[in-house]
Amino acid sequence: MRGIFISGIVILCFLISYMIPLKDAISEDVKACLKCHEIKTLQKRLDTGESISLYIDGKKFEKSVHGPMGCSSCHPNINVRNHPKPRKIANKKEYVKEFSPNCLNCHPKDALMKPEVHGIVVKKGEIYCSECHGSHYIGSIKEWKNKASFNEYCMACHKFDMTKTLPSKEKISLKVNEQEIKKSVHGKFQCIVCHSDFSKVKHPIYNFKDKKQYRAEMTKICTKCHTDEKLKKNPAHYALTKTASCIECHGYHGVKPAKVVRALPENQYCLSCHSRAISMKFKNGETLSVQVKESEILKSAHKKLKCTECHREFSTTQHPIRSFESLAEYRAKAKDICNNCHQDAVKKYDISIHAASLKKGNKESPDCLKCHGYHNVSFITKDKMASSELCIRCHRESGKAFEESVHHVAVKQGKQNAPNCSSCHNSHDVLPVNIAKLDNACIKCHKDVKTTHNKWLWNPPLRLTTFVETHFNSTTCASCHTKTQKAIFLTLVDKAKNKTLQEDEVAKALNIDIKALKTKIDPNGDGKIEEKELWQFMSSIKEKTKANLLGKINVLNSSDAHKIESREKSIKDCAYCHSPNAPMKSKLEINREGTKPLRFEVETKALNSLYAIPNIKDFYVLGFTKIQILDVLFFLALIGGIAVPIGHITLRILTAPIRRKRREGK
Amino acid sequence: MKRVYLHPLPVRIWHWINAIGFIILIITGAQIRFVDSMGLMSFETAVDIHSWVGFILIANYFIWLLYYLVTGKLFKIYIPPFWKPVEFIKNSIRQARYYGYGIMVGDKNPHHPTPDNKFNPLQQVSYLMIMVLLIPLQIITGLILWDPQFFSGLADVFGGIQIASLIHTVLWIFFSAFIIVHFYLATLGHTPMAHIKAMFTGYEEEHEDH
Repeated sequence: MRGIFISGIVILCFLISYMIPLKDAISEDVKACLKCHEIKTLQKRLDTGESISLYIDGKKFEKSVHGPMGCSSCHPNINVRNHPKPRKIANKKEYVKEFSPNCLNCHPKDALMKPEVHGIVVKKGEIYCSECHGSHYIGSIKEWKNKASFNEYCMACHKFDMTKTLPSKEKISLKVNEQEIKKSVHGKFQCIVCHSDFSKVKHPIYNFKDKKQYRAEMTKICTKCHTDEKLKKNPAHYALTKTASCIECHGYHGVKPAKVVRALPENQYCLSCHSRAISMKFKNGETLSVQVKESEILKSAHKKLKCTECHREFSTTQHPIRSFESLAEYRAKAKDICNNCHQDAVKKYDISIHAASLKKGNKESPDCLKCHGYHNVSFITKDKMASSELCIRCHRESGKAFEESVHHVAVKQGKQNAPNCSSCHNSHDVLPVNIAKLDNACIKCHKDVKTTHNKWLWNPPLRLTTFVETHFNSTTCASCHTKTQKAIFLTLVDKAKNKTLQEDEVAKALNIDIKALKTKIDPNGDGKIEEKELWQFMSSIKEKTKANLLGKINVLNSSDAHKIESREKSIKDCAYCHSPNAPMKSKLEINREGTKPLRFEVETKALNSLYAIPNIKDFYVLGFTKIQILDVLFFLALIGGIAVPIGHITLRILTAPIRRKRREGK
Repeated sequence: MKRVYLHPLPVRIWHWINAIGFIILIITGAQIRFVDSMGLMSFETAVDIHSWVGFILIANYFIWLLYYLVTGKLFKIYIPPFWKPVEFIKNSIRQARYYGYGIMVGDKNPHHPTPDNKFNPLQQVSYLMIMVLLIPLQIITGLILWDPQFFSGLADVFGGIQIASLIHTVLWIFFSAFIIVHFYLATLGHTPMAHIKAMFTGYEEEHEDH
């Protein structure tokens, strides 16, 4: 009886509840949906393990701006009778992405694009509608805007993973970690304290070229409170602010005091600042990163050194503020640091073509830093190709030529005595190839070279090594040991002083400006010195000096000198050079101290001229540089020699009757 | 017919070695110089022969020099009588006149060779120049070209290898022409083969004046 009574009450309640409407504003389909979706535990589990609550608070929904609308306005294809089967959804982001287009049914995209910043967010599609605005309990934006604090207002969007891609293709994150701000020294600040150009109604859009400019502009925000006057109290820090942005050390929003602890070990003390992406600025506007990567130092040959062992004017108490005109000036000074320990290497470098070239303003020319790096000074490697790659970085053509050589094969085979670049050119005292006496480098390894050449290169009856020396003096090893275009290189020497004349000495002797020398040698400016031009030039210079030309056979293109062939393939045919038709060009080189010579092409027939005798006294290639007029003279002499007897015999025949008569006594 | 023993054996040996050597040197010299247009032999062979024969002729020159120094005939035979220049010049003109004119009209050769005076004035001047100046010059410049490094000091004396080469080449040209004329003159004896035969036998035949 009691059971029947309770059941009757329940049925009655149900019937009564069914008859009382929830509220007139809520449509029937909402009611139908809420029957299930008002169950608090209703949720959906995603593949990622996340769960989405499917519970809808009817009352809250009722109060939202979308309260009067039915569920089907936003969920068009779902109702009680036709509820799709549960689907697989990868993650929450996918879920909101899939759902967001439904908002566009009532909020057309055009309208959403009107507020500029909102437009950018919508266009980028990094954040979807419901992420900012919510889904079922959306209030009035106007009301929210009025009520929200500045921080709440900004963070509504900036809590999300938003990025901005700069024209430099660099990306900057626009996400702000609110917790980080709260913990920072600026924890009590509202966003607009720093970002004063922003407000609830104002959101300027800045177009920074790159991160560097972005950081620089952001730094200006800091200087509004942290003025130069205040910063100057610490000169080193002040200098730093002029070259590095504040955020490098202090961070963006999680601003922390960057107090450097003096008690730290020295290297750590320095790295407190220098581990960050800070740079120094030169007077000419160039900049240089002064960031030091600890990992690089620890891998370097200098890993055991303290910073101050190189940077001697710095310490934990001293940080001089230095000012350099340019990067070049800075690098020139940097060499002094190396010189503290590596005096020998620096001394050798100072006489090199690299030093001279750098001095003349060739920024590509190497100094200590270009080859050895700043802090990542590497150990001397036993890998011959690896150490050569440093040179090949600039001398690509030579590197490529070397790959064709027998030496490269030896390097690849891992032979201990195989040469690399520095074996011949030296590491630090790299000299211009025209004065480097590179053949000595060959002899350094091929010690018995004179004897081996003397096996076939000798004039009978005596096998003298001096005959080999004759050839070594007038031709380079590469001339015979490569199959490349050859040339005779003429250089000006002062016979009285027994030394090569330099460009400035030649100009001085001719009493002309060094820049006018080229025109003096090649007056018609066609880039080729004709015979007449050569002898005129020689005649002018010989008025003031004991100048003469010295010749040497070499490969025409210096890179070709690297293409050394195996011994079997080298040129042993004497007539290759000792022939009037030898395939050689001629060049005139005027040496220039520490750098490549001034070079001209010379008309080869000049070498066969009578004028070559007084002007090229000590160089003669049998056959090739023969004086041509003597050939004519030889044939004339032969004709003369034959003509004399013929003429005499003819006269004797003609006068035979006279002699006959005389013999007969007539 | 008078027979005069004009050419002692050492002189004859020297002469014929020299003659063959000169021809070989002239030809191999031409081959070295005209390697592009002459194909008698390879450049290397020409240089080898030229060097070998060059040294043989250097040795040969010293045989000649030694013989004439030891016998003391160098002065008598090769040195013109500079102490009686007028007579020497007159004799030279007479000899030149003979070759240019007298020989045509049937004049007798004004010079009658004897062992102590075997050269006529023109021969005397020519051979003195050749034996004392030109051949030594050719030897020295040849040595410089043979090994320029070994003889670099000598090259410097000449003012460089170019000048040494110039001298060597000019003398090659001269000797090439000379040897032709020399051979022709050798046929101007009383018979075309008279002088040549004498250079084999040593005896020069001369018609006695009647």
